[in-house]
Amino acid sequence: MSLPDCTTPYPSDCTPSHCRWRCATEVIDELISQAGKVSADEVDHLLELRWKLRQYDDAEGTIKLFCDVRLRMEQRHYLAFFRMRRWLENHLLASVSICPEAKPQFVPVKLDHYCVEAIRRASLCFALRRGYVLLAPRLRFTFREVELRKGTFSGAPSRSLEPAEL
Amino acid sequence: MSISTAKSPVAVHKEPKIVDGLNLVLADSYALMALTHLAHWNVEGSDFFPLHKIFQEQYENLFEAVDEIAERVRALDAYAIGGLGVLAKAAEMEEFKSPLPQKDYVAALIVAHEKVIDDAVRTRNEAGTAGDLQTQDLMIKRLQWHEKTLWMFKSYLKN
Repeated sequence: MSLPDCTTPYPSDCTPSHCRWRCATEVIDELISQAGKVSADEVDHLLELRWKLRQYDDAEGTIKLFCDVRLRMEQRHYLAFFRMRRWLENHLLASVSICPEAKPQFVPVKLDHYCVEAIRRASLCFALRRGYVLLAPRLRFTFREVELRKGTFSGAPSRSLEPAEL
Repeated sequence: MSISTAKSPVAVHKEPKIVDGLNLVLADSYALMALTHLAHWNVEGSDFFPLHKIFQEQYENLFEAVDEIAERVRALDAYAIGGLGVLAKAAEMEEFKSPLPQKDYVAALIVAHEKVIDDAVRTRNEAGTAGDLQTQDLMIKRLQWHEKTLWMFKSYLKN
């Protein structure tokens, strides 16, 4: 499913009319507020994930934690994890270096798997399908760069991407 | 009241905001119908039969709804928007990249229904403020159906 760039200024403005996928932190808040449906242990994990999302700098760690929490909770909260998954896919990129000296290429991240290494392999396969020659492939996950322009949130990647690339 | 200052009931109701709102709900409903139709065709898995059947009931309902909404726009002496490109651009709904897991079809349709609800609520409120009870009534009817659909979809996703 192709998603539009998130143009939501702040999470508090993230209503379906602005961002139909809703901010992941907002979804976590809703999950945590459901008394009796989330265990104390799960609340701890959700709060940790929320903290990582707020920091917006450790994409690898965020994906790993998201996979852990998803495995534990998705069957009971499918819609919430669907929203988070789509939001993350809209805010993450995989940076692929075809060799150590090369400029990185960016490919979208699909969270169709439940483990960070499987997601990494899927991203590498995606890069291969695009025809990138991977001599000594290096892939790291990254958040899209966030720029505040006149109070608006731009989900721009660290370099300008053609729509076809995403 | 002199003839020159008297307003006809139609003139009172022909508020641009209401017409725009109706056209947006029309575009939303058309886009949702196409998504639901796609889900009907491509859904796979253990729940194929019930999902295939319910998706059909829903796109048939939406097909009737878009006609009713467009005719309301015409009743307000305005023109309905149309054409696949125009409707898709107005609705801003993303298309499925099939195949998806069966639960993802349902979850994605929930998100699409929420978009329609959001726009229909605004149109209902505009109509209420302008005293256009017919449009308000139509939006309430549509909202009832979308909310019922959300309830059913959300119940399905609960384990």
